[in-house]
Amino acid sequence: MDDRAQAVAPGAPGTLRTPPAPGVPQGPLHLGRTEFAPGQLLIMAIVNRTPDSFYRPGITWDEGAALERVHTVVAEGADIVDIGGVPAKPGADVPVQEEIRRTVPFIRTVREAYPDVVISVDTWRSEVGRAVCEAGADLLNDSWSGFDPRLAEVAGEFGAALVCSHAGSQTPRTRPFRVAYADVMADVLDRTLALADRALRAGVDRRRIIIDPAHDFGKNTWHSLEVSRRLNEMTASGWPVLISVSNKDFVGETLGADLEDRLAGTLAVTAVGAWLGARIFRAHNIAETRQALNMVAAIKGDLQPARTIRGLT
Amino acid sequence: MIARAVLCPYPPLLARELTGRDAVVPELHAACAEAVAWLVRDAPGRVIVVGPAPSTADWDPGARLDLSAFAPALKDGGKPDLPLSVGLGALLLDQAGYVGPRIVQAVGEREPAARCMRLGVSLAAAAGNGAVMLVLGDGSARRSVSAPGHLDERAVPFDDAVQRAVRDGDLAALAGLDPGLAHDLMVTGRPAWQVLAGAWGPGRPAAEVLYADAPFGVAYLVARFEAAGRERGGDQRGAVSVSGGWSGAAGVQRWSRRASFQ
Repeated sequence: MDDRAQAVAPGAPGTLRTPPAPGVPQGPLHLGRTEFAPGQLLIMAIVNRTPDSFYRPGITWDEGAALERVHTVVAEGADIVDIGGVPAKPGADVPVQEEIRRTVPFIRTVREAYPDVVISVDTWRSEVGRAVCEAGADLLNDSWSGFDPRLAEVAGEFGAALVCSHAGSQTPRTRPFRVAYADVMADVLDRTLALADRALRAGVDRRRIIIDPAHDFGKNTWHSLEVSRRLNEMTASGWPVLISVSNKDFVGETLGADLEDRLAGTLAVTAVGAWLGARIFRAHNIAETRQALNMVAAIKGDLQPARTIRGLT
Repeated sequence: MIARAVLCPYPPLLARELTGRDAVVPELHAACAEAVAWLVRDAPGRVIVVGPAPSTADWDPGARLDLSAFAPALKDGGKPDLPLSVGLGALLLDQAGYVGPRIVQAVGEREPAARCMRLGVSLAAAAGNGAVMLVLGDGSARRSVSAPGHLDERAVPFDDAVQRAVRDGDLAALAGLDPGLAHDLMVTGRPAWQVLAGAWGPGRPAAEVLYADAPFGVAYLVARFEAAGRERGGDQRGAVSVSGGWSGAAGVQRWSRRASFQ
């Protein structure tokens, strides 16, 4: 064989070498009863129990429809089901008891149908955190940057995983207004790493802490693009990184694309994020995201191609 | 005394580089450009730039706004940066080609009305004759469910009252704006308009509203004031589709334009 054929040895892990990232290596991630290795790219499927979320509002408001959606996303390869009872945008108030009503019974239903799927709950409130953990939730997905400091304690108490996010100075369910940063990435790192350390002290298992820049939360489109560009600075911390970019406004503003026309842009940001080391991808479009992530994983050398015979026959 | 004043909003999108490939709201840009060009047209002795900021402070007249705080991709070189309001004011003056003396004064967002008025008085006294003022401020950011501050039913009536006061040159009404309510409604302009009220002193200005709209749920108002007795007869200058002209000679000069917030 000539030199070129020698360059790649089929079946050898890590042969397609990506440049080693500086910083702390990624470790195992524990969610529920499952351990995920660093090379595994996980999909967190959004199942909103709201009538008014931003993308396809109300589509899973009916519990039957919501369960159907869970069947679909699990079949399409979702690793985590993320159940949320309150939209991120301003609107009709959802008190704690209502948020619990929207989520807890459904969590029990999902847990019964899928004993091993990782169940995540999109909430910032510790009272809700407690109720959903009691019902079987594995992960508390807080997009509002630890607004309720007791949420971390609840995660510690129940052995649940916790997402530590950045939202600038935004309080829950508010929009950014002329937000400015001397260095948005530095601000994101400061906040998420501080929350991660705090989670450790609150008793959350080291292998169950996740950080998330939270695109568009307290950030304009420029800020979200910058965070996407510099995501490697988050993964270099060693903490597993989650990104939630699906159909978001920064994609729409970048491409001039309406809400229903953002899949390609979403997959592009997803692929860049995966390349830069993120491990969890919160998504609406599971099958497409799975394909995009598998492609990146194969390029990285973390996933064997499905079937390769071309040029080899 | 202050001979002329211009009111301009200060959304970051007024800096063209921040809106990407699309030059959004060209009418707003045009109205601000027209107003500021008028403000500096006759070589004023000094331009006082006043705008809200986290705290009251005067700034180096040579400082400029650092846009990279809003768009990291626009990193320029780390010059000392101004608060957004007076920074945009400085940008508008630069774009109008003004190279004369400036005073750059930030007024604290929570400053009580009386302190704003006193600040205005002292600014006018210090600036001397022939000074003009560029006043940065917005109406409410809570005008609709899609507004940055979501919907507060009190926002539109508040903005309508401000617009009437400005249109009528009624500085006493601006001086009387409730700081608490303005803060709740995310009305950034309140302290700056009250500085203007203090600086202008007695005498109702001739006033013209050049732009009054809220395309994104935030009320933007562009207007100009001229001291009565200093207007030029038959001056038809104005931005957008303004009809008519200055009327009368002495006494209260009024300009009434049918501009209203959508």
